[in-house]
Amino acid sequence: MLRSIFRTVTPVVSTFRTASSSLAGRRICTRFVTPVRLYSSESVDKNEITTRVIDVIKAFDKTAASKEVSPQTAFHKDLGLDSLDTVELLVAIEEEFDIEIPDKVADELKSVGETVEYIASNPEAH
Amino acid sequence: MVKRLSGLQREVLHLYRTSIRIAYSKPVDNRPRFFSFIHEEFGKYKDLSRKDFTTIEHLLRVGKKKVEMYSKPELKNIH
Repeated sequence: MLRSIFRTVTPVVSTFRTASSSLAGRRICTRFVTPVRLYSSESVDKNEITTRVIDVIKAFDKTAASKEVSPQTAFHKDLGLDSLDTVELLVAIEEEFDIEIPDKVADELKSVGETVEYIASNPEAH
Repeated sequence: MVKRLSGLQREVLHLYRTSIRIAYSKPVDNRPRFFSFIHEEFGKYKDLSRKDFTTIEHLLRVGKKKVEMYSKPELKNIH
């Protein structure tokens, strides 16, 4: 997704440059070029990730809503999810943060804390 | 207790993950249908013995073909 944004950004920059240099010269041109960044620039902080992950889990139909979800909660042991449910939950979390967790990593994620840790380490998460 | 998954089990999980991701690529209103379809398809063979390799391999092949078909962007809804 990020790559597609970059692809669209480059032509925009170049059109700005040609348009502005013909209109008003260099100063405006540099003003256009530097700050073009269309995605959120700050990486999300851990507490926010945790609450969002927990929200996704609570919204997931197979988890009992009454259950307390903390970073220590394990998908299989505490939430009673089988392997397929875990996969489904992780894809839901992927959707929420707009990332794709590779298979190898996803198979190892067994608890809320581990998932939060991974998302925090992923620079593309937002 | 860390359960090691066999290669075949991981393949099934991979197929399931791909199917769910495809369901997310469909229009929001129709997603529940795709989800219940996926649950149904995988649920059919829930009680299959994990030593029944040939059957699982066959189902994986059939499943991959189906995933390929359902992943087409023209396909927006199922009944």
